[in-house]
Amino acid sequence: MASDNIQIKVKRQDGPESKPYWQEFEVPFKPHSNIISCLQDIQRNPSTCKGERVNPVVWECNCLEEVCGACTMVINGRVRQACTALVHKLDHPITLEPMSKFPVVRDLHVDRTRMFRNLKKVKAWIHVDGTHDIGEGPILPDEERAKRYVLSECMTCGCCLEACPQFSKDNNFLGAATFAQVRLFNAHPTGKFDQEQRLDAVMGEGGIADCGNAQVCVEVCPKHIPLTESIADVGRQTTLQILKNLFFK
Amino acid sequence: MDRVSKDQLHYLLLKTHSLTGLVPIGAYLCVHLSVNSLRTVGVLPYQLSIDAINNLPFLIWIETIFIYIPLLFHSFMGFYLSKNARYNLARYRYPRNGLYTLQRLSGAVVFVFLVYHVGTTVVPKWTNGKHLFEAAPFLIEIMNMEFQTWTGRIIYLIGIASAAFHFANGLWGFCISWGLVVGVRAQRNAALAFSLVGVVLTVMGLATVFEFSVHPESTVPTIAGVFSGKGGG
Ligand code: HEM
Ligand code: SF4
Ligand code: SF4
Repeated sequence: MASDNIQIKVKRQDGPESKPYWQEFEVPFKPHSNIISCLQDIQRNPSTCKGERVNPVVWECNCLEEVCGACTMVINGRVRQACTALVHKLDHPITLEPMSKFPVVRDLHVDRTRMFRNLKKVKAWIHVDGTHDIGEGPILPDEERAKRYVLSECMTCGCCLEACPQFSKDNNFLGAATFAQVRLFNAHPTGKFDQEQRLDAVMGEGGIADCGNAQVCVEVCPKHIPLTESIADVGRQTTLQILKNLFFK
Repeated sequence: MDRVSKDQLHYLLLKTHSLTGLVPIGAYLCVHLSVNSLRTVGVLPYQLSIDAINNLPFLIWIETIFIYIPLLFHSFMGFYLSKNARYNLARYRYPRNGLYTLQRLSGAVVFVFLVYHVGTTVVPKWTNGKHLFEAAPFLIEIMNMEFQTWTGRIIYLIGIASAAFHFANGLWGFCISWGLVVGVRAQRNAALAFSLVGVVLTVMGLATVFEFSVHPESTVPTIAGVFSGKGGG
């Protein structure tokens, strides 16, 4: 590189309703720096390349080790976590945008409430108590446990939804992450108690039938969750449910 | 039975769209291309198979219920789905995303082709009152004319290849949506198997176009009980 500085173009937005605009920043190159550390540099000295003092760029982050999902943004046109986006591995100048499928709170900070609402819709949990004692769950073969563990690693980051051509701001598609959780909780011996309710929740508008099998979700999922397999698996469960509803109820 | 809710209706429409792609439309596509490929065996077997179809009782009802209505339903749903997709192939360049985009594009191409195809075959057949044994020679003559120009040949090549692709890739999507194929490896193997289906259908179509182009042969109506064979051309 000619200079030891990195150019970063940021798509900014002052509030949920305001118009987005672009600003360019320059931060010193440090070996092994990631996008989070660059954003911290901008925070320390929030002046654009033109020398204008501006409000520091807003973003969200928490764990800094790609397990919480909070720092998800679109980096060089591709959705991913800022913490694991290492500057020396990226093309320059670097562009940062907020995810496009979620409402922007400010700058790179988006509101992913929809994902959590979707998890509620499909009851992505297991009842451990209630009006009666359901006792301990059975012991599972390790192979089963390992399969489910992978699904449990979802960090609700939203990558799979941002990259999905069927998911948009103005529809109510549940999205790959939700379907994978349906599979996870339906695969659990105690979670199975609510299986029909979960299937019912995905057999409606925005449900499993709205998936178009573009399979981009599985390509962009940072946790390598077998999303397409989960979609097919939930597809099979719903097919069986249809047959059951039609002929055995 | 309870009233169908908006959620149930949405789901039902999507499932019906998916199912109609396979049966009856996809099944019809296979039968149609197979019957047509008889032309490569000879014009007589071809004519006899068209005779068989045109002598079916209640033909117009069979066609309407098993072809036109499902096809129109599948097409309009297909256009609606295509319109609502947020295509992002430019950003996320993965083969599957390309096929997703092509599935929608090929559907639209097939639709335009079918309007042309039906408009130049079935419609003149009805307006000219060519039924029963009269239909085959009339239709064969139309196709002979069609394949004398490169424009006609290319229109058919594009139409057939698009339909074969759309059906083969659709079969794959169908198997995943309904959960017939689940595992990642199973999905890949299914894709291989279905691409073979697509290739076979395309080759069958191409061979038919080739035969019509190279050996245009006119026929006269079959007389029931007597094989009249070919005449003219
Ligand atoms: C030769 C005629 C046609 C055949 C044999 C056919 C067959 C199929 C099949 C088997 C599927 C898979 C269903 C699934 O994904 O579960 C499909 C999907 C689809 N078809 Fe067709 N189709 C035809 C015409 C059309 C037309 C005219 C359109 C209009 C644009 C269209 C649009 C679509 C779309 C958008 C899908 C994808 C649905 C999704 O994955 O969400 N098709 N088709
Ligand atoms: S996503 Fe988590 S994973 Fe990455 S820094 Fe952010 S906060 Fe972290
Ligand atoms: S499935 Fe993967 S991409 Fe989707 S939210 Fe979960 S971790 Fe993120």
